[in-house]
Amino acid sequence: MTFSSELVRGIWKENPLFVIVLGTCPALAVSTSVENGIGMGIAATFVLLCSNIVVAAVRRFVPDSVRIAVYIVIIASFVTIVDLVMSAYFRTLYNALGIFIPLIVVNCIILGRAEAFASKNSVFLSIADAIGMGLGFTLALVMIASIREFLGNGTILGYHLLGGSYIPMLVMILPPGAFLTYGMLTAAANALNKKM
Amino acid sequence: MKEILRLMVVLTTVSALAGFSLAYVNEKTKAPREYQDRMKLLGSLNTVLPPHDNEPDKDAVEAGGTTYYISKEDGAVNGIAFETSSDKGYSGLIRVMVGIKPGGEVIAIEIVEQKETPGLGTKIAEGWFKDQYKGKSLANARWQVKKDGGDFDQISGATISPRAVTSAVRSGLEAYEKNKQQILGGGHDVQ
Repeated sequence: MTFSSELVRGIWKENPLFVIVLGTCPALAVSTSVENGIGMGIAATFVLLCSNIVVAAVRRFVPDSVRIAVYIVIIASFVTIVDLVMSAYFRTLYNALGIFIPLIVVNCIILGRAEAFASKNSVFLSIADAIGMGLGFTLALVMIASIREFLGNGTILGYHLLGGSYIPMLVMILPPGAFLTYGMLTAAANALNKKM
Repeated sequence: MKEILRLMVVLTTVSALAGFSLAYVNEKTKAPREYQDRMKLLGSLNTVLPPHDNEPDKDAVEAGGTTYYISKEDGAVNGIAFETSSDKGYSGLIRVMVGIKPGGEVIAIEIVEQKETPGLGTKIAEGWFKDQYKGKSLANARWQVKKDGGDFDQISGATISPRAVTSAVRSGLEAYEKNKQQILGGGHDVQ
């Protein structure tokens, strides 16, 4: 286990959305536009990084029976701190992400990585794991969101790519579109992984 | 027994540390957050009010539970802005800032907050949608969407959100008419 192998693992081979299937609720909800996808990905990556570092650092002092409670307190605190700091100093970003920040608390990827990785590994490797998983999550979100925004609204990052005559497939930016896109991408990713 | 004590100590310590750090961050970011909130308010006031030489957020009057921000030029009132809202949207509250002339004619509206379906209901925040309220007053328009026999365009695939905005603006205008005397006639200033 080296830093780089841990880092790469999360991006594709163990992609949190397509392979581990964690954090699907926020992923389905926010993947209506690429902008939302990037914002949610970055915010979640930041919280994941902070929580992985702290969880790995305190792993020897936390008794098994209360570990989940401790992780939740750590994660919720970081999410609140991110929320407060962003609203004070990065208002434009905060306005764009506002509703997604509290959602990060319930993002299973963060608790999942605390439990599955950071509680058993060094701070150093946990940083690699957090960055890899965070990037993997962001990448998957952007993939889903690109397809949904393109088909459902005719735009990518708000830029109109198809002429005015294009009639958007509204279903793609509604919840069914999220399930359709996510399902097909997951199937494609798994088929690809089997061949590799 | 000893084990229980250990669990208690660990959990209490972690929670206390989390509490302290949250209190610290909250305290540190309080002033900048209030500043940003005021900038946001001023930003939406400036988009819906005509050019003015006072500070509308300080020249505010409260009437019927709503704060009315009054813009003045050379001491004469040239616009009033207020926030109105509707819970009839698709999801959550839609908050709208409305700017009107003292006579009750809409200058502009601005969507302050909405959580409508992205790509559908969110179109209420687009320029063409907001612009159709310009120049409208209770007297010269039917305050419903076209589907319901009114004068305002709905959005294809999303009738609920425009309906909510229209009814929010209408109820705001009605409240203004009701409290007009108090708002314009030197009601007590609020800080």
